[in-house]
Amino acid sequence: MIRYLRLIRIFTGATISAQLEYRANFLGAVLGSLGQVGVALLTIGVLFAQTETVGGWTFREALLVTGFFMLTEGFISVFVQPNMSRIAEAIRTGSMDFTLLKPVDAQFNVSTRYLNVLRFPDLLIGLGLIGYAASALTVTLAGVLTAAVLYLSALSIVYCIWLALSTTAFWFVKTQNMAELFNGIFGAGRFPVSAFPLPVRFLLTFIVPIALITTVPAQAMTGRLTPLLALASPLVALALFAATRWFWLRAVASYTSASS
Amino acid sequence: MSPLWKKIRVLFATRFAEMAEYRAEIIIWMLSGTLSLIMMLVWMSQAASAPGGQIRGYDASGFATYFLSVWLVGQLLVVWVGWELDLMIRQGTLSPKLLRPMDPMWIEYASHVAERLVRIGPLLALLVVFALLSGASFTHEWWAYPAALGLIALGFTCRFLYEYTLGLLAFWTESSTSFTEVAWLLYAALGGLFAPLAFYPPWVQNVAVWTPFPYMLGLPAQLLAGKATLAQTGQGALVLLGWVVVFWFVRLAVWRLGLKKYGAVGA
Repeated sequence: MIRYLRLIRIFTGATISAQLEYRANFLGAVLGSLGQVGVALLTIGVLFAQTETVGGWTFREALLVTGFFMLTEGFISVFVQPNMSRIAEAIRTGSMDFTLLKPVDAQFNVSTRYLNVLRFPDLLIGLGLIGYAASALTVTLAGVLTAAVLYLSALSIVYCIWLALSTTAFWFVKTQNMAELFNGIFGAGRFPVSAFPLPVRFLLTFIVPIALITTVPAQAMTGRLTPLLALASPLVALALFAATRWFWLRAVASYTSASS
Repeated sequence: MSPLWKKIRVLFATRFAEMAEYRAEIIIWMLSGTLSLIMMLVWMSQAASAPGGQIRGYDASGFATYFLSVWLVGQLLVVWVGWELDLMIRQGTLSPKLLRPMDPMWIEYASHVAERLVRIGPLLALLVVFALLSGASFTHEWWAYPAALGLIALGFTCRFLYEYTLGLLAFWTESSTSFTEVAWLLYAALGGLFAPLAFYPPWVQNVAVWTPFPYMLGLPAQLLAGKATLAQTGQGALVLLGWVVVFWFVRLAVWRLGLKKYGAVGA
């Protein structure tokens, strides 16, 4: 365990020093982050200029969902996407061989090797939005703690979906498009799931669990969570983790290197 | 056959052959552009729960019509040239293209136009399915369709030119893709991807009318939904034409400056 934490520290150090070489990129990335939050606020502002509530959520409550959405997008672009997008590349060029030969769990290695520090401001913006939205709501400590736990399972759901999609690279050459498709559906997470028509709500909860990622933690904070959903989120996360672990091991077992 | 015409024909035929190779990807890219569809669902369900069943004159089917039109127009306006240029400049694959007796911009432009031809079939098929599911109904005025198509062609050219210019910034900075990202945000917000422009705060609308965005995305969509007039179309076309001219010269200037810089690095 300690060995793995030390590895994470070494990986992080290496990837940060590599990225600080390109300082001008940072300005562009900050501009992108600010633009994104501006557009998110405009979207939700325009929606609430017409009505008091959207799907039974007030402006501040819906803003909480947007905050969790921005935070998750930040999490994806800082931690998940930089690693997952390299899996297909490593398989295509054969450098996956070296990863598999190392005396470290290969799934751990491919999942933690890289970071995109340039997108770090996204995380701060997401947290800031959540804080701002919560400041006008009555939030209990128990609510915040439950939200934190549920959000952790939300993050592992996100990680599992991405890993599962990227693992298909062992059979298909390109997986970049799968990620595009996930992003397209994940966009629905910027609104509370009750803002959608009933059939779509069903789809976003049970087929692609977008609702568990952004709506459920926000519900926990505002104290409108049903016990059933509170249980469902960690259970889905655990089940998904076990399934993707199995899928990953199967994929590695069938790996025959780029040259053979 | 004049040499110019032959050039155009060969250019276009090769680009079309290349794009047809990507047909599976093109369908996936189409499916991933869901933001206007998500907004459609949210607004439709807002209208359904609003008193009187409508918001500012839009009922659920009105929203469906507007946002499906936006989706259609947006699909025809897709431009990725900034990303392409970023890659070409960084990896140096631009160099062999400079040796040809033709501005490399035309190769990219032909690629984009050819891609539209590959895209249009599945696009219209999906549109019919979505329209049936959501209850959207498009205008019966025949003139709205050629008018919208004209605006889309102008809007596409305009977007292509400014994205090209932003892509050329890769000559100087490593972050030209984040500039194209910001440009996309402006296009989406001011174009009317999230809501019809009339829903926005007045100060945003006042800014938006000076930009090309509402005329390339929102206006053709309103035409297809039967909510825009011929006079508005003419006015929008003029604004777009003005911006095309501006971006044409800006692009040319940035291109010339960039080439000097590029030569200095490579030689």
